[in-house]
Amino acid sequence: MQRHPNQLKGSLYWIAASAVGLLILNYLVATDALDWYYAGVLSTAGIYIILTTSLNLINGITGQLSIGHAGFMAVGAYTAALLSVHYDTPFVVNILAAFATAAVAGLVIGLPTLRLKGDYLAIATLGFGEIIRVVIQNLKVTRGAFGIVGITWVDNLFYTEIVVLLSVVIIWRIVNSATGRALIAIREDETAAETMGINTTLYKVMAFAIGSAFAGVAGALYAHRMTYISPNDFTFLKSVDILVMLVLGGLGSITGAVVSAFSLTLLPEFLRFIDEWRMVIYPLLLVVVMLFRPQGLFGTKEIDFGALGAAFRWLKSRFGGAVGSAPQRTVETASPSSGMQTEVQTSSLQPAGVQPDLSGQPGSAAVAPAEPSSRPFLEVNGLSIYYGGLKAVSDFNMSLPEGALHGLIGPNGAGKTTVFNMLTGLHPPSEGEIRFRRKRIDRLPPYRISSEGVARTFQNIRLFKDLTVLDNVKTAFHMNVGYGFGASLVRPPSYGVKERRVTSEAERLLEILGLQERRMELARNLPYGEQRRLEIARALATRPRLLLLDEPAAGMNPQETASLMELIRWIRDEFALTILLIEHDMSLVMRLCERITVLDYGVTIFEGTPDEVKRNPRVIEAYLGQEAN
Amino acid sequence: MSRVVASLLLCAVCILLALLRKYRTHVVSNPALKYSYYPALILLAALGINYLLTALGANKVYTFQQAVYGLSLGSVYALIALGYTMVYGIIRLINFAHGDIYMVGAYAGYYAVTVMHLPFVPALVIAMVASSVLGVLIERIAYKPLRNSPRITLLITAIGMSLLLENVGQKLFTSTPRTYPTIFKASYEVFGVSVDQSRIIIFAVTVLLMIGLQYFVNYTKPGMAMRALSQDRDAARLMGINVDRVISVTFAVGSALAGAAGILVGIVYPQIKPTMGIMPGLKAFVAAVIGGIGIIPGAMLGGMIIGVSENFVTAYISSSWRDAIAFGLLILILLVKPSGLLGKSVREKV
Repeated sequence: MQRHPNQLKGSLYWIAASAVGLLILNYLVATDALDWYYAGVLSTAGIYIILTTSLNLINGITGQLSIGHAGFMAVGAYTAALLSVHYDTPFVVNILAAFATAAVAGLVIGLPTLRLKGDYLAIATLGFGEIIRVVIQNLKVTRGAFGIVGITWVDNLFYTEIVVLLSVVIIWRIVNSATGRALIAIREDETAAETMGINTTLYKVMAFAIGSAFAGVAGALYAHRMTYISPNDFTFLKSVDILVMLVLGGLGSITGAVVSAFSLTLLPEFLRFIDEWRMVIYPLLLVVVMLFRPQGLFGTKEIDFGALGAAFRWLKSRFGGAVGSAPQRTVETASPSSGMQTEVQTSSLQPAGVQPDLSGQPGSAAVAPAEPSSRPFLEVNGLSIYYGGLKAVSDFNMSLPEGALHGLIGPNGAGKTTVFNMLTGLHPPSEGEIRFRRKRIDRLPPYRISSEGVARTFQNIRLFKDLTVLDNVKTAFHMNVGYGFGASLVRPPSYGVKERRVTSEAERLLEILGLQERRMELARNLPYGEQRRLEIARALATRPRLLLLDEPAAGMNPQETASLMELIRWIRDEFALTILLIEHDMSLVMRLCERITVLDYGVTIFEGTPDEVKRNPRVIEAYLGQEAN
Repeated sequence: MSRVVASLLLCAVCILLALLRKYRTHVVSNPALKYSYYPALILLAALGINYLLTALGANKVYTFQQAVYGLSLGSVYALIALGYTMVYGIIRLINFAHGDIYMVGAYAGYYAVTVMHLPFVPALVIAMVASSVLGVLIERIAYKPLRNSPRITLLITAIGMSLLLENVGQKLFTSTPRTYPTIFKASYEVFGVSVDQSRIIIFAVTVLLMIGLQYFVNYTKPGMAMRALSQDRDAARLMGINVDRVISVTFAVGSALAGAAGILVGIVYPQIKPTMGIMPGLKAFVAAVIGGIGIIPGAMLGGMIIGVSENFVTAYISSSWRDAIAFGLLILILLVKPSGLLGKSVREKV
């Protein structure tokens, strides 16, 4: 997501531009410069803009493939039509009612179907779209295939454009807030999103319901423009039209959706001269665009005034000669060889001016050493999990005091990551209980466990690959942004303050992990070691009490590993964390961890201090095999 | 009332027994049960249905007549579904153009029979070859360059190809429906149920093609390559499989089956038009999902279920609800068992 540095200024530009646009349009219609036919075409374009941006919220932003959008449009259209015909209610009431009924339809359909993924979800939405149409066709109140005639005629382009503007602004604000970041996180990696404390089911259903609601609004506009609707206006082909506009504009780009919906509605008007071949050329064009620009015209980028300015400067530099202000390019400085930059960062990340203790004495700084007698911070009893007949982990026990730095080791396939999956709720255990700060968490969904204060990194890195480094961390602040959904719509002054605070805190975390230089790069372009550090930064952003690190040093060179070790210890003290880590690098584990648990074939074979572990014959046997007699 | 419930229960138990995977492996290992299990279940279910119909006081002849109609319609869905399921299994694409390939097959068969005055079998071959060539062409031109792009791009391209075929069809064949000449005239009567020769042919050809396909996929070298590809494309490539060629073969075979469906539909439901592929295409995909996508007998089962239930809805409720039943069944299956009736569920690795 490209975001304008100054949001307020950016949106003022937009408001001014749209106001001017509306005034011009109205002037043209009022003076008959624009005849009623083209005014009608523009209204249709507006309706398609709403449909496309609302579908974008579901398909592009949240990544849930829905291809039955016309069904919700039908719900809204029939709501408005019936109200208008039977009760003669005003336009505004009909629009709001259409919004509500379509939202309810979206909720009812979204709740069961959003458990499905990808193509299955697509087919289910297609199915529901068709069922809605067949139901309308068979109901008495909707007059079946005859349709409804005599809907009040509201063809004021001005009203239409106002509704369009409102819809687009609302969707824009949803997308550019913590809610939007959560939705994008779901698109990028649902499992990782869940461990960042995002209730993925809730957000998916919410996006689906809101998207459907706006499709209903578009339907109501349509009904009031046509004055006649029938089930055949809302076939699968209508859904396809909307989907095509969305994908051509670029999935995930709101401005792309607007531009594409607008131009694709107007395009057939320009293709009129080849009238009878129009319907052949349109799909041909579609296939050709997909072949040569698969990501759509805009990709996931947005046009904003910053981009327009940059384009203008580029044109000027290209053709005008004078390179007054060439677009600034971030210089890709090579990452420091040590990778950590511990010295540089520490001075700036300490608001209180406390110099962190980097000498590496565990437990020397912020955290008071845990009382041995106090009730354990994390207590795991008899944890087991079965896959079919396979016991992946059986009777796992563990008890960590607060502030511990504990290692979990074992040969490949011993079940270490499975333990993490159970602790974070991704794989609910078959038996046993987990108590975290006295509270049972073994039956909680992952996002609740995350909000209890458990964060993790993944062995097979699960970053939000197509987001910037900074956005990865900002997304993880989900539970701590301090404002709600309403605030992101209304945007009171406090909203900006809180958003800026999230950004500065995210930048602070990046600084700690030595990723400040990389903050605007896509996560997928980072080298392996930096991706691992970004995962740690992201986990820290959820403000955990317990941090689970799954092979943090994998793929790092000895130098990087050494500085990572310092970093882990320092993080534990600075953030008052308890850390449990899986690692294969024995030198790191032995030097870093205070106690170590050894797993083999899902069974705990030993627990003790590093020295005890090194000497234990069972551990040696598990790692090296039995000595030959 | 109690008889209705009892017979419904009997049918439900039969279906459950047929679907229970664990129980089936136990059955297959028992030689005495191995070959009598399914016939026994079918017999039992038939008894249950018969009992149910008596209890409901339904007109049995009418009901069985509808079942016969349903099976022939279901054959068409099944044949189209086979192509869908093969293509999906290999490149994970819902090939929306597949329904239109079936339309082209219907027209190819139509011209072979009317203009070239060919008998049924050569016409069938021509329809299959024409569809097959078209299918491979579409894959080469439109899908192959997008093999590594996001799935939705591929999906949109498929939708574009589908629209293109329909609209070119409107230009080429005009939108006036054409009528197939009657090829098979005979009709037989079995216990008062009239069974047209054409319906026997459509069912028999479908079953034969499915058995042939099952053999091809399971016991030939290209079939094995296909199965390997559907598991892991990169691993298959490393084993020396020519991935491009296998994908082309898949499209060729799948499209040929759709072409066969096109001409078969012509001999039973003689009206054909350029937009005929849209709805059967969608419903055939639904059939493939219901049976378990990527599974050949599943596509057959799904097709038959949809064909029969559509006919029953038309006969006992109203033809205007006909289009809803396929999608209703789909959603039911997706919610209860998303991997389909014969599918295996997979767990995501974290």
